[in-house]
Amino acid sequence: MNEQERKVVVVPCSGIGKTYGTVSREAAYEVVEDSRPEATELVALSLLVLGDQDARAAVRAHPAVTIDGCKLGCAAKMVQESGGTVAQGIAVLDVYRRNRELKPQGIAELNEGGILLAHAVAEEIAIVVDDVLAAEEGSTHA
Amino acid sequence: MPDCLEVTVDKFIFRVATDRLYTAEGVWALEEGDRIRIGVTDFLQQRSGDVAFAEVRAEGRAVATGDEVATIETIKANVEVISPVSGAIAEANQALAMTPEVINQDPYGEGWLAVVEASEWTKDRETLLDPDAYFDLMQGQAEEEAQKL
Repeated sequence: MNEQERKVVVVPCSGIGKTYGTVSREAAYEVVEDSRPEATELVALSLLVLGDQDARAAVRAHPAVTIDGCKLGCAAKMVQESGGTVAQGIAVLDVYRRNRELKPQGIAELNEGGILLAHAVAEEIAIVVDDVLAAEEGSTHA
Repeated sequence: MPDCLEVTVDKFIFRVATDRLYTAEGVWALEEGDRIRIGVTDFLQQRSGDVAFAEVRAEGRAVATGDEVATIETIKANVEVISPVSGAIAEANQALAMTPEVINQDPYGEGWLAVVEASEWTKDRETLLDPDAYFDLMQGQAEEEAQKL
């Protein structure tokens, strides 16, 4: 596997109109656009639901980190149903429980707590991405 | 799991345990001798969403019917749980501090909130709904919620 192929796909919850869904998407954008752009690829949950071939191919080709806003776990379920592998699922609620001071509010626009919570989620995703890629590299060199 | 009445509204299944009494707001009261165990109904927990935190008033604290006995913070709202019974809090569910999600997972069992040493249970119970009455009320509330979706 060459360097370009070693990626992790990030699949956030689509919880439209829900605060925790917005947090999950903002966290995904931060990772994919800012903190780990070379190592990650964003896959929209809605494309997986629609059966988009490129989206399905991406989750089948690369390990996925899913970010879910509620216990329904739609992102994780859709990755699995699309034939992909969830390297790790992150629940926004679990991150919030560890950061209670970051009370998220807002939908189209998050409050400060929501922005900071999204950042905390993004940091957890980045750690997972690094771990997954390091493990892949280790198995390649073994 | 106690015996339950059950109804499906839209894609949701709601259960009402048949061994306890209820407030119209979705708080249950289960008689255990002189003590009353209280918690929230399946409908209330589903409508409120995933629980992030649950805080029950301190053990030993006196409560009257209508007093707030616990606060549940969910991904959708902060729910004030009103006591259906007067007395003193004999026991608060300590497990909720670490695993508040049990309220969602097992609202009639492990997700209980508190046990109250009842002081006026004979009087208080007269104000509560039996399972059939609460089931009918809840079904109406659930159907009303479904109309909004």
